[in-house]
Amino acid sequence: MGGEGQTVTRGHGQAGAAPAPGRWRRTLASEYWVLYLSLAYFLALLPVVPGLAAPENLANIFSNMLPLLVVATGQTLVLVTRGIDLSVTSVMALASVSGALVMSGDQGWLGGSPWAAPAGLLVMLLVGAGVGALNGAAITGFRMPPFIVTLTSMMFFSGLAIWLTKSRPIYNLPAAFVALGRDYAALLIAVLAVAAAHLTLSRALLGRWLYAIGTNVNTALVSGVPVRRAVISAYIGCGVAASLAAALYTGRLETGSPVLGQRILLDVIGATVIGGTSLFGGKGKVSWTVCGVLFIVLIDNSLDLLRLSYFTIMTVKGGVILGAALLDVWRNRVLVG
Amino acid sequence: MNKRRRLTCLTALSVALAACAPSPDAGKKLTVGVSFETLQTEYWVAGFEAIKEELRKRDIEMVDSIADGDANRQLEQVRNFISRKVDGLIIVPKDAKTVIPMIKAANQANIPVVLYNRPADQSDARSVAVVADNHAITKATVEHMAVQAKQSGKKYKAMILLGDLGDINAIGRRDGFEEAVKQHAETIEVVARVPTEWNQEKALAGVTNALQAHPDINFIFTSSDFLFPSIVSALRAAGKYRKIGEEGHVLLGGFDGDATAYQMLVDGYLDADGVQDVYFESAAAVQAVLDLKAGKEVPALIRDPGLVIHQGNLKEAAERMWGAKVKP
Repeated sequence: MGGEGQTVTRGHGQAGAAPAPGRWRRTLASEYWVLYLSLAYFLALLPVVPGLAAPENLANIFSNMLPLLVVATGQTLVLVTRGIDLSVTSVMALASVSGALVMSGDQGWLGGSPWAAPAGLLVMLLVGAGVGALNGAAITGFRMPPFIVTLTSMMFFSGLAIWLTKSRPIYNLPAAFVALGRDYAALLIAVLAVAAAHLTLSRALLGRWLYAIGTNVNTALVSGVPVRRAVISAYIGCGVAASLAAALYTGRLETGSPVLGQRILLDVIGATVIGGTSLFGGKGKVSWTVCGVLFIVLIDNSLDLLRLSYFTIMTVKGGVILGAALLDVWRNRVLVG
Repeated sequence: MNKRRRLTCLTALSVALAACAPSPDAGKKLTVGVSFETLQTEYWVAGFEAIKEELRKRDIEMVDSIADGDANRQLEQVRNFISRKVDGLIIVPKDAKTVIPMIKAANQANIPVVLYNRPADQSDARSVAVVADNHAITKATVEHMAVQAKQSGKKYKAMILLGDLGDINAIGRRDGFEEAVKQHAETIEVVARVPTEWNQEKALAGVTNALQAHPDINFIFTSSDFLFPSIVSALRAAGKYRKIGEEGHVLLGGFDGDATAYQMLVDGYLDADGVQDVYFESAAAVQAVLDLKAGKEVPALIRDPGLVIHQGNLKEAAERMWGAKVKP
């Protein structure tokens, strides 16, 4: 049964195309090739992009990575089971406004109370877990495709977030909560979340189940894997990760927003898949996702620093991501061929 | 790849990074970071171009970023500017509150911040805002329409298209409209207030419904010119889109001064338009950045008095109407 994420080097070695030279081949073959790609991209742009390597900018890159990394980590859990969670962005929006509705000093139920911040955070996590459980239950209970289930919940819950707030952002959040979005607190939260997901996938029994389900759900079922429970857990994990990311975004913006994260869905899935996690299940690691997120954030950051117009940036970003995907296909062919 | 090799790679990289860190060079030209929330309407594109031109004239370098409607992205972009040590920031914020953490970050780095066209809410963050006097410009525009209405001797049923009421500019325009029509209550009765949330589809649906409920509407004001296509489309469908002077003409007024409005003025369909003076605002924003940088006192709110363009002053006023200079 699939234990750890498989790497491409396990492909069937057939004599055919000429093998790439040793070192180059080893870099390509590495499961962390996206990390090397990011480094190569970084080094290539160093002379062109002013201030790219400045310590303040490096700090920006890492702090911009954190919330995206947390959502993408949750997405990895789901992708491994051959699922997908399109509802993460609406979970973020709903968590952001529900938390804010509890905490806000203007209109929150607990506004002003010392319990506001912890209660708000708890509500956010419960929202994430709740939506995740609903997604997982619908997928396993009704055998519906994850794409459709989570697409529906994306629409439903983002509509709910807007309805709850009449599309107004909510302000005046407690200082203790706002601090969560800042430097070290955000780093700590992200590290804990990522470590928990990593340990689950690599060490825990649940992780082994998830890989088995993603590789072949029937085999997993026959082998006694509690498929239903495991899949629901994966979606709950994904929902909780999304709501944690929402806490980071909401904290640093000091605002509960009903459209929080509306535009980052492609970044989330793009980062996870570029990292190497397969859309077809059974293959993926949290550490790969870390590299994928680094790559996406680096592209964003460098294109912001370059003096390109907005329209050019959009085109270039699409092009770079496409390039990385093509390189991945080519790399698989070279390694397997 | 083994661990040692990976480590060597990383060490080499950090050495390279350290070597490449830029050295501060004195006497270089000023750089201003310009962050726009969106470029999705002509008005913002015109403002963006005007700021770019103003900076070019003064030989100031511009770096720009567009947040595509995402406040978190805007925060990241502004932090990127700060870490690049720009000499000033001109920001069009997504809204009045989410910009506060951005201003605080800039305050901390001692970089002057000027908000273009949307002010921030009260807080301890320090910034200067250049805004159009939405209330006064709208009031003057509707006032002009009301005078036309009075001269015709007829009674008027009015409709206003409201903007997103979370946007302080939209509120200023609504209040300006209400104040003006109140003074002419004997001629004008407001029968429809259509919420659009700055959305063209909502506007089209709302105007169509209102025209059905009140077929006698003959006075329409829109809180933004970019909604004119929706109004024209609904009026055409109802067979009520007529030129000024023709029987059954609906008195039309708008706000912004965009290219569609200019064309409608030239073609004789639009009665009056409140114009935000993009050129005044962009020059004032750049000047405010320079003054703040030089340590001078700058008022927290700089008001653009704007102007009203109508059939009577079309030629002269077109000089200051940004929509007259861009292609529709």
